[in-house]
Amino acid sequence: MASSQKRISKELAEVTTNPPAGITVSLVDEANVHNWNIVMDGPEGSPYAGGKFKLLLVLPTDYPFKPPKINFKTRIWHPNVTFDEHGSMCVGILKPEAWKPSSKIMSVLTATQQLLIEPVPDDALEANAAEKFKNNRAEFNKEAKEWTKKYAK
Amino acid sequence: MNSGPDSADVFLESLGDSPSGETSAPNTIARPLPLSSFSSIPYTVQFEINPESTAFITSSPGSPSLSATHKESLTLSSLELNLRHTVDFRAITYDGTIDENLMCPICRCPLVNPVLTDCDHIFCRECIGDSLSHSELCPIDRFPLSLKDLMKAPKMVFNQLDSLKAKCPCCNIAFARSMLEHHMEKYCPESLVRCSALHSSKKCAGVVKRRLSDQGCLHYQVQCPDCMETLEQAQMEDHCHTVCKQRLAPCEHCTTIILRHKKVEHEESCSEVCRPCQWKEYGCSYEAKQDNLQLHNDKCTFKLFGAIAENIKKEVNDLRKEVGNLKETNHLQERRIKFLESGQKASEKPFEFMDSSDANLSDTANAETLDTGHEYLLSLLEVQQNRISNLAAELSELRAKHTVMLFNETIPMKNELAELRSTQQVTCMHVRWLMRFRMQENQRRFGGGPGPAPSGPDGGGPSNEMPLGRRLSDSMTRDLITKL
Repeated sequence: MASSQKRISKELAEVTTNPPAGITVSLVDEANVHNWNIVMDGPEGSPYAGGKFKLLLVLPTDYPFKPPKINFKTRIWHPNVTFDEHGSMCVGILKPEAWKPSSKIMSVLTATQQLLIEPVPDDALEANAAEKFKNNRAEFNKEAKEWTKKYAK
Repeated sequence: MNSGPDSADVFLESLGDSPSGETSAPNTIARPLPLSSFSSIPYTVQFEINPESTAFITSSPGSPSLSATHKESLTLSSLELNLRHTVDFRAITYDGTIDENLMCPICRCPLVNPVLTDCDHIFCRECIGDSLSHSELCPIDRFPLSLKDLMKAPKMVFNQLDSLKAKCPCCNIAFARSMLEHHMEKYCPESLVRCSALHSSKKCAGVVKRRLSDQGCLHYQVQCPDCMETLEQAQMEDHCHTVCKQRLAPCEHCTTIILRHKKVEHEESCSEVCRPCQWKEYGCSYEAKQDNLQLHNDKCTFKLFGAIAENIKKEVNDLRKEVGNLKETNHLQERRIKFLESGQKASEKPFEFMDSSDANLSDTANAETLDTGHEYLLSLLEVQQNRISNLAAELSELRAKHTVMLFNETIPMKNELAELRSTQQVTCMHVRWLMRFRMQENQRRFGGGPGPAPSGPDGGGPSNEMPLGRRLSDSMTRDLITKL
């Protein structure tokens, strides 16, 4: 699958030379371009501001025909991210039926950042957080801030 | 990319060690070079002897790399030594920026062998093939698509792609992409050719850079004079220039002898290297060696100004950051106001919910946002009221217009009606007159028969005015009787 490697290295070069604001990308292992470490700053104006969130981006061998997988390695209190050691995340463009081979990793990263700013409680993985986000925003913000302080420093 | 040829050499060397693979297979064996992570060698060498190479020698592309010595080497070493190079167009570097329209949306490289889909998208044939093997949909608009729907892309696209300037992976000179393989096969001084000893008694199966091929067979072991490593003479040059860690070289600036691989570190500390003035950023164009630079720094006209500028720059940056923060809070507040407004419109409930979400602000701030919300609502109400009164005024105006119009139209109708009525009356009178005339005539005719004639017009006229109807029917029956 040399062609997938080429495309990945191209995108890696693009993301490292011109990274989106608040995102740094590095390889987990220099010899393997399929696993990326991503450090994302909590966006200003969200309860995650000030936190640094580690994510793991795994690109399948048949990338770009299959969507990449992205997981939060830092715990995060968010309606669309499971609050466990897996940190599975639900982003629209990563769903298999929504993924297009022409989508770029850059857009995945910005979509993730956008999700931190604007959670989608109707498409929640963490029902508890979604419930609070919908009905008791102050409580949600407070908890999210606390978890950010606890885990994402 | 510079390290490419080295690793190719190493790989090909290992090929030379086991020539059995060469004899078992026919002339055309494509040998893909190993892909070491992502910085791979962007071409493969095909061990095929091209008998038509003489045909091309006159039509040489006018590249600067074609030196006289190079041509000589071509003629000296038999032309059959050329090796066919298959370049991977996705892995080479291109000169300048490439039009986004010429990029394959799948591999994100300039298109290779482009095809056109039914839905008017262009992909590399290989990429779309891979994509369709995963799902039979267009990767851009998800239109159903199958391999047989693919057409060759327009000639224009091919022409544009062919004229892209691609850098030769060996000599790093840019050529039109379509010429690249030809260049590598026949002209590039850095690309590989068979050893000139192939046809001699030695039958050397090795490969060597074209530039070195006129030096006879270089495939013998020698020892590097610096690091004592044993390697083939063919690789010696590259080893000395890039690989060898022990090789000494004079510094270009201070002429002291240093280890070649420590050159970068040395240049940082070398006192002979020219460096720009500390205040270059603010306009000082002075450049000097380290010692002179220190002298200059003391009397540099930008010294005073530079310090101030530095402070200003810092302050500007701080302010910019602050403005950014303010903008963000402003944006947030605007959103909050909009939310409040929509919440209040819908019902009381979402309004309360918004209320509580603001609890992280202080109570006063909370009241403030509420006030602004109310004010906003009131202004909205005012606007609506204005609009309604405007509408009412317009409505009454319209009504007046309508009545006038109606009036205007009905007057002539009325006139006409009166006219018609009068004419009808006139015709009525005429008819009556005519009827009477006729009746009198009839009366005279029938009345004259049975009755006395002199009782006709003068005596009967005024007297039979009243029983007109009866007389008529009478006359009718009489008429009938006479007919029978």
